[in-house]
Amino acid sequence: MADIGDLQSLASSITAVTSPFRNYLTELHGQFQAINDGDVADYIPELALAKPEWFGICVVTSDGQVFEVGDCDQLFTIQSISKAFVFGLALEDHGRDYVNSKVSVEPTGEAFNAIVLDEVTNRPYNPMVNAGAIATTDLIQGSSSTERLKRMLDMFKRYTGRDHDINVPVFLSEKATGYRNRAMSYLMLNFGMVGDKIDETLDLYFQQCSIMVNARDLAMMSATLANGGINPVTKERAIDERYVQDVVSVMLTCGMYDASGEWAYRVGMPAKSGVGGGILAVVPNQLGIGTFSPPLDAKGNSVRGIKVCEALAKDFGLHLFNAAKPERELQAWIDGNDVDSW
Amino acid sequence: MPKVVSIHSYRGGTGKSNFTANLATTIALQGNRVGIVDTDVPSPGIHNLFSLEPEHTHKTLNNYLWGETSIEDAAYDVGEKLGVAGDGQLYLVPSSVKADDIARILKDGYDVRLMNDGFRRLVKALNLDYLFIDTHPGLSKETFLSIAISHVLILILRPDKQDYQGTAVTMDVARQLKVRKMLLAINKVYSSLNVDALKQKVEETYGEAVAGLFPLSEDIVQLASEGVFCVNYPEHPISQEFRNVAQQIVGG
Repeated sequence: MADIGDLQSLASSITAVTSPFRNYLTELHGQFQAINDGDVADYIPELALAKPEWFGICVVTSDGQVFEVGDCDQLFTIQSISKAFVFGLALEDHGRDYVNSKVSVEPTGEAFNAIVLDEVTNRPYNPMVNAGAIATTDLIQGSSSTERLKRMLDMFKRYTGRDHDINVPVFLSEKATGYRNRAMSYLMLNFGMVGDKIDETLDLYFQQCSIMVNARDLAMMSATLANGGINPVTKERAIDERYVQDVVSVMLTCGMYDASGEWAYRVGMPAKSGVGGGILAVVPNQLGIGTFSPPLDAKGNSVRGIKVCEALAKDFGLHLFNAAKPERELQAWIDGNDVDSW
Repeated sequence: MPKVVSIHSYRGGTGKSNFTANLATTIALQGNRVGIVDTDVPSPGIHNLFSLEPEHTHKTLNNYLWGETSIEDAAYDVGEKLGVAGDGQLYLVPSSVKADDIARILKDGYDVRLMNDGFRRLVKALNLDYLFIDTHPGLSKETFLSIAISHVLILILRPDKQDYQGTAVTMDVARQLKVRKMLLAINKVYSSLNVDALKQKVEETYGEAVAGLFPLSEDIVQLASEGVFCVNYPEHPISQEFRNVAQQIVGG
């Protein structure tokens, strides 16, 4: 007979499946699967291969319980979501003051690929727009381009608990067509905001956007931020605890492209989206959400992913500044105590 | 709110499928919408009691678990022939009896989440009041799942030492899974035993209520796997005992 440890672990894996909270996520999944709005990104041919029906929802609590529904193993490119995390690595490499001198943290209201710098300081507006992300990528330390890339991949591994690959066709396509990003880099070089290794930094930038992740990875990354920078499953520290607030607050103000203000008001969860169809959202001290669904709205955010975050925020009172008693009490739904979700 | 009832026994041969068929039919005959899922994938059998022939069940639980059909399309109305009428309904989702299908499930396994989602889907799609889950004896993934989602878990045991021991193990698991309500049913009780003393002893030993006691019955044995006893002999004391058990599920 199995000892009590094994019995407990099997029992908890089964109760994660039968938990009312997972049943709730299954209902959301079924409800939003039917939405056919939005378009899959097609500015490079590789992204256009994504199937519009792909849809995964994963939630990881800050104590490491994993709830997943739908296509949570399907890999896709992380795209802009990497920007928040590379910003964190730049902070670890150089400290807050230096990084702030190179990149501002002000929302722009402009599109993510706008060629615009602060007129007084010449800094890009924030680390979540392309210009700002190129500037933070420039700050990643390492003696060679290989070492700099490896340091980034190692960082993502600390957040997700597994190794990550680069999607080479996506990387090459982004690199071949990235004239706008190249133009921005030279503009920033002109103002002394980035170093002169433009090609190396741009390669690194296109590579970080081409890292393959799935919805579970995104949930684990956001749960790690929710848990003060420590991966709740592996217990490994992914980011210096001093800089968790930097990453999460910039996600709240700038994470959803030029829909960020509306997002902070309506959903109130620091989040970051990518044109690959991923969204991650952080509920500090409670949980991380990762969603994947390729069709995007006009602002470049996953249509179904937005719906999931909105529903979770509303139904469980997860808006950062919510003071009202929520319709559903999160812990009770996770534990299954006194909740009959039939 | 729909109610999920799992019927389980630690060892085989306790009369689990017979018990499930009779109890589910009793509750359906009282005007309830009832579904039964045969999760005994390695050794399915309950379809026999409802005279559901394998050549007429092209879609089974197996096909659902392989993503080939919705679960409600694998549900068969078995109530009509038994006289379930009015508001009552009785459906069965059988497991496949084809050797290849059984081998495939055993070899490849299946996603336990899919089983959970299927139960929920079935309750919704057929608007069920009661869902009965007939399980494979012993402890397995689907046993754990069915125990964890049940509102009521019924453990069937015979009055012998091996069943006593196995039932204790299952109860440990059930408590770990925070089961909401457990009932015991004692089956195949020899006529020489003092039933009241037996009931009292079992309740004291396990700290759970005995919902029903069923004698080792030649009547049931004669019908063997050919029909639902309580339909054929509604006035028999055994049928009355099923109505008693039903009362504890419907009422409690």
